[in-house]
Amino acid sequence: MADPNQYLRMQLDGVSYLLPSVAGFTIEQRENLVTNKSPDGNVVAWRSVRSTRLPAYCLDANLRVTRHQQWHRAVFLDAKPQAVGLVAVEVQLLPRAETVISPFTPLGLPPTRAGHLFSGAWVTGNRVILVFNPEALTSYLQSLGEGA
Amino acid sequence: MKARRAGPRLHALEVPLEGMSLLIPSASVAEVVNLSTLTAVPFSEPWLLGVIGWRTLAVPVVSFEALLGAPTPGGRAGGKILIFYPMSGRKDWEFYGVLATAEPRPQALDGSQPPVPEAGLPNSSYIASGLKIDNRSMFIPDLVALQKAFYP
Repeated sequence: MADPNQYLRMQLDGVSYLLPSVAGFTIEQRENLVTNKSPDGNVVAWRSVRSTRLPAYCLDANLRVTRHQQWHRAVFLDAKPQAVGLVAVEVQLLPRAETVISPFTPLGLPPTRAGHLFSGAWVTGNRVILVFNPEALTSYLQSLGEGA
Repeated sequence: MKARRAGPRLHALEVPLEGMSLLIPSASVAEVVNLSTLTAVPFSEPWLLGVIGWRTLAVPVVSFEALLGAPTPGGRAGGKILIFYPMSGRKDWEFYGVLATAEPRPQALDGSQPPVPEAGLPNSSYIASGLKIDNRSMFIPDLVALQKAFYP
């Protein structure tokens, strides 16, 4: 089990984001997922759990739905009514001592019902990696639906 | 014409923007830094240009031009970011930045500077008033309106 203070680094289309382990998530290999053969729709792959299919989305650096083939894993966030996932080019569980997370509040209106997508940042010199607010990320992913 | 009476001096900064200047109290600024790499914040307001790493914090950087409805200026050579202290009632780590086109210039105000007439002010709730200094209009931001936009 992951340390609740650990962070998962996810690289999406050239940009990295962190997800706190406290979110509760499962990492699945691409080969364990059912990929969406259709070029249409928002879902890039599904994870089959008993009789349900959990959707995974492919997001670009700006967190908009995209399609590319460079992903190797999907991270499924524990959520009600069902888990929801996003695929990543690379995922890495960072050692606890390596990350110092500062609180961060984006300015302006939050884009999801659950608030702002980010609640922290890891700053090393000029480099900033934003930390997801898991509830807001889940809310955003759930809002994407199956699409066309 | 009767000269305005000089009062106590207030140290201010003229903040050059694209096509206009702001006038702010010097004491509201923690530091002025060079324009560095901005990290984008997905799904943020159009006036939020991104964040910069400053000390150990991610500081959001705002385009005042975009707040006023003008196009967002591109980062130009010589551009500066003014890091402002957190607004009243906010957490002590909630610094924010404003992008300026050049180094801010100090201005000493003594009450003799005439106000900009109402008709000369930008039509925006984010501008409270303005002063004429050396025959140039400088606009004073409305911090209450800004706080409502930043932390709705």
